[in-house]
Amino acid sequence: MHKTVSFDFSVAGVDALLMTFTSNAADDLPLLLTQLRQQILTNLSDVVVDVVPAYSTLLVYYDARTVRLYDLQLALEHLVSEIEQTRLPQAQPLLLEVPVVYGGEHGPDLERVAALNKLTPDQVIEKHLAADYVVAALGFSPGFAYLSGLDEQLVTPRLDTPRKQVPAGSVGIAGVQTAVYPTAGPGGWNLIGKAQMRWFNVNGNIQLAHGPDAMTPVQVGDKVRFIRQGDTT
Amino acid sequence: MSTGMRVIKSGIHATLQDQGRYGFQHLGVTPGGPADAVSANWANRLLDNGPECAVIEITAGGTELESHTHSMVAVTGGDLNLTVNGQPKAPWRSFWVKPGDVLKFGYPRYGFRAYVAVAGGFQVPNVLGSCATVARNKLGGLTGDGCHLQPNDFIPCAASSQERVPRQMPDKYVPDLHSELTLYVIPGYQQHEFSAEAWHTFWTNEYEITTESDSMGARLHGPAIAPPSGNLLSEPVCYGAIQVPGDGQPIILLQQRQTLGGYPKLGSILPLSGYNLAQRPPGSKVRFQPMGLATAQQQMRRYLRFFGL
Repeated sequence: MHKTVSFDFSVAGVDALLMTFTSNAADDLPLLLTQLRQQILTNLSDVVVDVVPAYSTLLVYYDARTVRLYDLQLALEHLVSEIEQTRLPQAQPLLLEVPVVYGGEHGPDLERVAALNKLTPDQVIEKHLAADYVVAALGFSPGFAYLSGLDEQLVTPRLDTPRKQVPAGSVGIAGVQTAVYPTAGPGGWNLIGKAQMRWFNVNGNIQLAHGPDAMTPVQVGDKVRFIRQGDTT
Repeated sequence: MSTGMRVIKSGIHATLQDQGRYGFQHLGVTPGGPADAVSANWANRLLDNGPECAVIEITAGGTELESHTHSMVAVTGGDLNLTVNGQPKAPWRSFWVKPGDVLKFGYPRYGFRAYVAVAGGFQVPNVLGSCATVARNKLGGLTGDGCHLQPNDFIPCAASSQERVPRQMPDKYVPDLHSELTLYVIPGYQQHEFSAEAWHTFWTNEYEITTESDSMGARLHGPAIAPPSGNLLSEPVCYGAIQVPGDGQPIILLQQRQTLGGYPKLGSILPLSGYNLAQRPPGSKVRFQPMGLATAQQQMRRYLRFFGL
């Protein structure tokens, strides 16, 4: 199937331009957005301050003193068409394996997720392990990776009352998303397990495949697979 | 002996801030920086400091600092009933300090946040290019881990004895930090998803700043604005974005905002309005007025150029 990508511009703020993409291969968008982010930073560094990808959107922060909105849009359109035409060698997404301890004290909502979806806790674990997830966005807090690709039967609404304190490493489900909390903090996701892993390090060296300066083990477009580590009793 | 400022009392909330941490939002790192950037920039300007110099942000008061050096400091922002060695000192001016001088901030007379700059800036380590303190991200501040200032912290700065004249802002240039505030809104790309009634409610009513507000976001309370139905996937959110969650009570995202948000947005406020908003204590009322993008950019351009940003 030939991939077709289209996009729209919209004004998000005084110095922020949003690009919203649609594609008939939506799963590939995060990786495309990461490539486009690099191209923008390389080619438009004199006018662009920051570029933030998430799911199917890319927010471009620009310096309104050095570029007019219309000219910026033309330059961005040009970069997108270049990426499409030259068909940059599709960067191979990294596959990160994340060991998880499911249930017990680490997964206080495992039973809830099972009950709401009419599954047994073991079936929930099985389905959570079965998928390869795509890192659709990094955000909320440093290194927090929003993973898409959750089994439809695991889709579970957020807790009605968020927890005041979610322990670092908690593996959660919220709606169609799953993720690991990099640090402790408040949160309303359903917690089903725990993964002991570092998700953010300002000193880099956390994922050599992304270079010595990589501060996070994954970037947008990469893949994550959970593996079962053995349960607590 | 090292020179600097010692924290006697940290007060309610005192942090180190600079222009903020840019270029890492794609990893979830918020820019941070002073909640009222205009006042922070003026503090440096009164001392001929570069705009990148670190300043202390004192929120709601109670902070006490002891000088361990001879230098000049500038205090701007809200009037937090500052005394120097027991003598009242009005803000928006620079003045000499010598070793042993005690700067004591009381509680706000008007405004909500004061800024303290020192000649040459505070010498503090940068993390990802900035010392801006963001507790939630565990980044910045004196120890680099997002901790706010603590009693007995020693904040190094250079001694200064060069010829300088103390300066004072003429009253007419001091920002008005206490009268009723109008926030200028650049309507955003989701504007058409809100109903005409929702917009009418938004434009015609007063909203009160609640006690749950902080420099991550100002949470407002007032007549509910009906949000559009349907769930959005999280999107990157810019400074000043006005999110409307299910309860219809708007949240305005400020300097320490999360990088992504999933609520529908009416638009975003002019950053200059946001800096003013950060000076209003909980309980203050705000109103909204629309502003075109061109006008907003012109105002921001003038501000950035003035401070050499």
